[in-house]
Amino acid sequence: MSCIEATSLSKSYDGIVAVDSIDLSVSTGKIFGFLGPNGAGKTTTIKLLTTLIPPTSGTIQILGIDAIYNPLEVRKRIGVVLQQPSYEPTLSVERSIEKYAMMWNVDRKLQKERVEELLLAFDLQDIRKKKNDDLSIGQRRRVQVAREFVHDMDLLFLDEPTVGLDPSARRSLLDYIKKRVREGLTIFFTTHILDEAEYLCDEIAIINKGKIIAVDTPTELKNKFGREKTIQIHIGQLRRDLSVLLQGINDYQIDYESGTIITIKSHSSEDILLKILQILTVNEIPIEDLSVVPTSLEEIFLTMVKNSNASSD
Amino acid sequence: MHPVIRLVNRNLTISLNMGFLIWQVIFPLIYIFVAGFAYTALIHEVPFANKRLDYPAFIASGMIGFNIMNSTLVSGIIIWNDRRHGMFEQILVGPFTRAQYILSNVYTIGIIGLVSAALITAVGYPLFFKSVEFNVLTIPLVVFASVTGSILFGSIASIISTRLKSSEGFNVIINTVFLFFAFVSTAFYPADGAPKPLAIAFYFNPLTYLVDVVRAGIFGNFNSVVELEMLALACGSGILFMIATKLLSRLEL
Repeated sequence: MSCIEATSLSKSYDGIVAVDSIDLSVSTGKIFGFLGPNGAGKTTTIKLLTTLIPPTSGTIQILGIDAIYNPLEVRKRIGVVLQQPSYEPTLSVERSIEKYAMMWNVDRKLQKERVEELLLAFDLQDIRKKKNDDLSIGQRRRVQVAREFVHDMDLLFLDEPTVGLDPSARRSLLDYIKKRVREGLTIFFTTHILDEAEYLCDEIAIINKGKIIAVDTPTELKNKFGREKTIQIHIGQLRRDLSVLLQGINDYQIDYESGTIITIKSHSSEDILLKILQILTVNEIPIEDLSVVPTSLEEIFLTMVKNSNASSD
Repeated sequence: MHPVIRLVNRNLTISLNMGFLIWQVIFPLIYIFVAGFAYTALIHEVPFANKRLDYPAFIASGMIGFNIMNSTLVSGIIIWNDRRHGMFEQILVGPFTRAQYILSNVYTIGIIGLVSAALITAVGYPLFFKSVEFNVLTIPLVVFASVTGSILFGSIASIISTRLKSSEGFNVIINTVFLFFAFVSTAFYPADGAPKPLAIAFYFNPLTYLVDVVRAGIFGNFNSVVELEMLALACGSGILFMIATKLLSRLEL
C-alpha cells in the first residue's frame, strides 16, 4: 500500500521551475531516500508533500488523503523535521519537548513518559535543563529531531536530519529511525550523505534540476547504473615505461605515488585486466597487490547527476 | 484541547520569561514612582476635564496605556521570533492552520495587554484612588481600551515582523516606533499646554487615544471627544489587524 502518491507534481516560482512534473510512490513501512545535489528540488518537494506550499500543478495523496484539498488532515498524521533549525530559544531542552507534545495534544501522562524516553534515546539527559539558545548546532539538531518523535504519526519527513551531528549521534539517530520503521512508521528521508542513504533506505529516488532521474532500491541502482568496475593493480617498482608497454589499451590510468598503480575503470574492466596482466607477465613485472573497488552509491549518484546535467545542457 | 488554546499556551510560555516580566513591571514602576514623584516639584497639578490631578496620578493612569503598548509590541514580536527560529514553518507543518496561528497571536497579545493593564492599575491605584470616579462605564472603558489597544499595537508589531528580514532592521524600526509612540503621546503629559505642532502630533499617535480612553474610564470623564477617540481606536485596530492578517496569510514559506 502506498503512503505517498504524487503524480505530475510541479512547482514554479516566478517562472523558475523548482519541481518539474515528478511522480512519486512511497510504500507504507519503508524508508524512502530522496537524493539530489543542492538546489535540485528536494526541499521544495518536501514542502509540497507536507502541504507547506501548494503545487503549481499535479496531485498529491498522503496516507490516502488528498493533500491539496485536506492539508490539515494530512498534517495531523505526519511529522516533519525541516532542514532549517527550529527551536524555542527561551525554553530548556526538556521543556521544549514537553511543550511540543502539548502542542500536538499528547496525553499529559504519556508526555512525561515519551519525554524521558526521547531524552534517553537521543542522549539529551545531561543537557535537559539547558536552554536551547545555549546549545551547540549539533545538540539543537538532536533536540529538533527528538522532539518530532514525541507525537503519534504514520509518516515522518526528515529533511537532512543528520546535518551537524557527530558520527556517533548520527549512527544513533539512523538506528533509532530503523527501530521506529520496524514498529510501522514510514520515513521520507533526504540527505547529502550517500552512505547514510545506503545504510538506511529501502528505496531511493534521485532528483536533479527538478526532475526525478532514477528510482529504485540501492542494490538495483548499483546493478543498473554501476556497471563500471574499478580495478587497481599495485606494482612495487617505479615503472615509467609502463605507458609505452600498455599502448593500445584504453580506460586505464597510471599513478606514481608509491610505486606504480594502474587503475582500470570501465564497463569491461575484466577484459582490460586480462590484457594488462598478459603484458605484465611477458615483461616479468611483479604485481604486489590487486584489488577491486566496489561501486558505491556515491559514484552512481555523481555519474547520474553528471549525465543528467549533460543531457539537459 | 482546541488548537488555538494549545498555541496560546505555547505563546505565553515562550513570552513570559523572567526578562519580559522584569521589563513589564520594573519599567513602568520606575516611571510611576521615580519620574512621577520627581516631577512633582515641577508639575504640581495637571488639569484634566473638570479636575486637577496630581502628577503621579496622571502618569500612573498614563502608564496603563503605556504598558499595554509596551507589552503588546513585545508579544507581537512572537511572529518575528518564530520566523527567525524556524518555528513559524514548524507550526504550519503541524496540526494547525494559518488562521489558528494568527488567532492565537491575537489572543496572546490580548491576554498580555489585559494582564498588563490590570497590573499597572493595581500598582497605580494608591496614587490615583483619590480622583477615581467609579461608574458603570469605568471597567468597560478600561477593558475596551486594553483590548483594542492590544490588537492595534500587536498588529503593528506583526506587520513589522512580516515585512522585515534582518534583525538589525527589525530592532531599529521597533525602537523608533516605540520612542515615537511613548513620548509623542499624552501618556506623560497633557496635550493642553503643549506647543501646538506637538499637541497635533499627539493625535497622530494611537497611544494618545488609548491613554485618553483609559483616563476617561478611571476619572469619569466620558464625553463626545472620548467617543470619537474610541471610534478611532476601534477603526485603527480593525484596519491594522486586517492588514496584519493579510500579510501573515501571504507570508511565503
